[in-house]
Amino acid sequence: MSGMPSASSPEPPRVPHVGSPPRKGRLPLLQRSIRYHRPRAPFCGVGYCTNCLVRVDGRTNVRACQEGFDLPRMKTTANAWPSPSFDLLGIVDVVFPRGIDTLRGFRRPAAFTSLYQRVVRRLSGYDDPPSEAAQQPPPASIRRIVEVAVVGGGVSGSAAADALLRSGVGSVAVLDRDARASTMSGAEMLGRTTAVFLPPPDPAAARPFALAATNDSGQGVEVRARSVIVATGGYDASLLFSGNDRPGVLTAEGAFALSAPGPPPFNRAVVFGGGERAREVLARFPSRISAVAAPGDVNPDLTRLASEQGVPLYPRSLVLSTVGRRRVRGLTLRTRSDGPSFRLGADAIILAHRRVPHPQLFFQAGALMQWRSRAAAYFPIVSETGQTTVPGLYAVGEAAGVSDPAAAVRCAQLTATSIGQRNSSAPSSSNPHSLDLPGELEGYYRELLRQPRGSGKWIACPCEDVLLHEVEDAERRGYRGIEVIKRYTGLGTGLCQGRYCLPDAILLLSILEQRRPSEVGYITQRPPVLPTSLGALASFADSPDEKEAS
Amino acid sequence: MIASPARSSYHTVVVGAGIIGLYTAYHLAHAGAGPILVLDRGFLSGGASGRNGGGVRQQWETPATIRLARESVAAYRRFGREFGYNIWFRQSGYVFVAEDEGQLARLRRVNAVVRGEGLVSRVIDAAEVLRLVPGIRPDAIIGGTYLRTDGILYPFPALWGLYEAVRALGVEVLLGAEVTGIHAPGGRVAAVETSLGRIATEHCVNAAGGWSGELSRRAGLDVPNVATRHEILATEPLKPFLDPMVVRVSDGLYFSQTMRGEVVGGIAPSTTLATRLGMGSSLDFLARMSRGLVGLFPQFRSLRVLRAWSGYYDDTPDGFPVIGTDARLPGFVHANGFGGHGFMLAPASAQRVARAVLGEPSDLDPHLFGPQRFSEPGRALPTERLQLG
Repeated sequence: MSGMPSASSPEPPRVPHVGSPPRKGRLPLLQRSIRYHRPRAPFCGVGYCTNCLVRVDGRTNVRACQEGFDLPRMKTTANAWPSPSFDLLGIVDVVFPRGIDTLRGFRRPAAFTSLYQRVVRRLSGYDDPPSEAAQQPPPASIRRIVEVAVVGGGVSGSAAADALLRSGVGSVAVLDRDARASTMSGAEMLGRTTAVFLPPPDPAAARPFALAATNDSGQGVEVRARSVIVATGGYDASLLFSGNDRPGVLTAEGAFALSAPGPPPFNRAVVFGGGERAREVLARFPSRISAVAAPGDVNPDLTRLASEQGVPLYPRSLVLSTVGRRRVRGLTLRTRSDGPSFRLGADAIILAHRRVPHPQLFFQAGALMQWRSRAAAYFPIVSETGQTTVPGLYAVGEAAGVSDPAAAVRCAQLTATSIGQRNSSAPSSSNPHSLDLPGELEGYYRELLRQPRGSGKWIACPCEDVLLHEVEDAERRGYRGIEVIKRYTGLGTGLCQGRYCLPDAILLLSILEQRRPSEVGYITQRPPVLPTSLGALASFADSPDEKEAS
Repeated sequence: MIASPARSSYHTVVVGAGIIGLYTAYHLAHAGAGPILVLDRGFLSGGASGRNGGGVRQQWETPATIRLARESVAAYRRFGREFGYNIWFRQSGYVFVAEDEGQLARLRRVNAVVRGEGLVSRVIDAAEVLRLVPGIRPDAIIGGTYLRTDGILYPFPALWGLYEAVRALGVEVLLGAEVTGIHAPGGRVAAVETSLGRIATEHCVNAAGGWSGELSRRAGLDVPNVATRHEILATEPLKPFLDPMVVRVSDGLYFSQTMRGEVVGGIAPSTTLATRLGMGSSLDFLARMSRGLVGLFPQFRSLRVLRAWSGYYDDTPDGFPVIGTDARLPGFVHANGFGGHGFMLAPASAQRVARAVLGEPSDLDPHLFGPQRFSEPGRALPTERLQLG
């Protein structure tokens, strides 16, 4: 992951450029959204959201953040014309402030059917089909046969792999999205490798798990294992408010990723969050944070740091809307319990209110999940040793809800030791690692839903530009449950695989439907975990290049 | 939380709130029959009606199927005006492609039957396939057939439109309720046994899709329906580049580009996996389908798959659906066996199902569609083998 581009590019590009070269310390406007052509700039910075899609060497929908924002190489997608900073189709956003109803609209007159279809098809889609020249056929997939596969090589994953080897487990493979390939004290590190599919284990097989992954050379990677430890960590969740997709709204990890190296792309950001994560943001960007707003109370460490830095605190605040059309110029807040509303100037809003785990691999493998209201997200149900309800599948670290690094290391070691000793303990119905405190986000959203909506768009699903009132309308018409709401509105069907809409949408639906989030359900987690190229998937069809670890 | 039925007795209980069941309830309610109850053990759009690729074609091997398909196309053309939801039915054609002369000869025969029914399908050469399917590898195909009035639609709004329409007509729809058996004292349907208790009814329509064989067997009827799992994938959305649905005859590979821009497609299942895995997906499918697409479009190697899912085809031995009252159990009406093509045949088929419930004469050939056909002794089986796409 590298940081923001510098202002000077080596030579003027001859191809349509991704907007004007961004000013130093500013987020580049890289594309327009899929339906309403709203301006978008990097949001997550780590390759999940759909806000930095560009075209590189004939490949479409490449995330600029994953290729180091090498803007001179990148072309704008066909979704913005003539450029992302000035897109003529952006008029759609202005003309339809309540959005376009493609479910019931465009039905009359019948003679216009084909015209409507042409217009709507043109508005859809991010980019033209890929046009890269035929290269050599991609390398065959590779296969590893190991005792234990560890997904994620961060703090918990490394600790687990280390402890596995020390407790005598012979062969361990670690898969990591970012790390380079290496050998880590006996474990093979499969670097730049992303796990995309973990089907339920086949109990009859010697190694029940067949984990599918892809690496950055477009190769399929299959790891057969007796046990799988998921150490995929968590991510900073999104938040719903009017204009929550504006350039300048960032997740905390987005703010970190987009500032390393190089200057942060903001000078007076408002941080939203009242806990440790918000404190990390404040500590990392002294003098660039103009205020901290929190959904509830602010913890003492954050309070202390804010007072040291002279940063004002706004506890118990609802974020109502962003100010500014093309970029965040500020935000409107309201003090909870119908307090006064007020405006803060800001060039960025950094969301640091909660972190949630990546649930995909657990759902795919059939592990039972539990909704935790404090984080407002699904977590795997695990035992003290990290054992999920699927025998042989373990969760460690943030993926299991353990956010403190020291505790995460201890848990990972415990998991590894129990695998080494072939102990297994069935998980209890509640997670032993942390208590589920009453959820402050639920109360937050209950209050938010009662606020006047104003004229801006509340984007419930930024990938697909699904609006909050479309979700509410579906509920009013009698469609219930996240699976049906997904099909009715399109929410959760975009490129981020639901990461930035589902947790909040499930919470909102539980409020609207007046039932528990677990009854609202979850979208069946279908492969792949991240969008995966046809080439990599096709490589699984050929016989693999197999290696059995001793 | 599941509501319970508002009444203790119904004229008809339709099992399955998919496209067939809802259309049947709609036709029945329109004809003034009632009261009607639709039961489904899952959620709306949870079965094959919410899992298909949206193809609607009229190119079939037998005139009887072509007629149902043509009538259904007409119904889908007026769907938006009739039901208030836009299903985005895009009549931009179906292209069947052949890789060798043998396959092309088969398509020529289909083409002759289709033209015999008054539809303007035609045999096309490789150059025209290239024009209709831009970017396809020129040496991958030798020709095919094309019918411009075939098309694709967006399945979900069809379900929403029907769901709201039948409810407005007084039909009750209960989701999350499973039918466990048929109560038939005296050899005719008197009630359905459900997870909500016994519900009295004179007629029970089996429109349970992939679960219809199971339901018939719960009613004590021996039927040959087999549920086969099929998988589909969708890519990230692209700007429009492909208008028609494309189907490769050799292996049933099919794909189209939806209104949202995704390339959506599937391939005939590998036999070993078809009956396993529940509603799950398989790496085997992802690999075979991706290889198929990359084989046709080498430039698509970097195109990403967004998601994959699966659903069940309700297959019959001869490839025809089963429509009509089961003579062995008066009151039990079949509306199943559509073999993955229920959506494209639903409007016309459901009308015949409604007629069967109402005891009206049918214009369908009982030797092709009737439930009794499988037990006819010494029957020379006509078959509908164009079970692709």
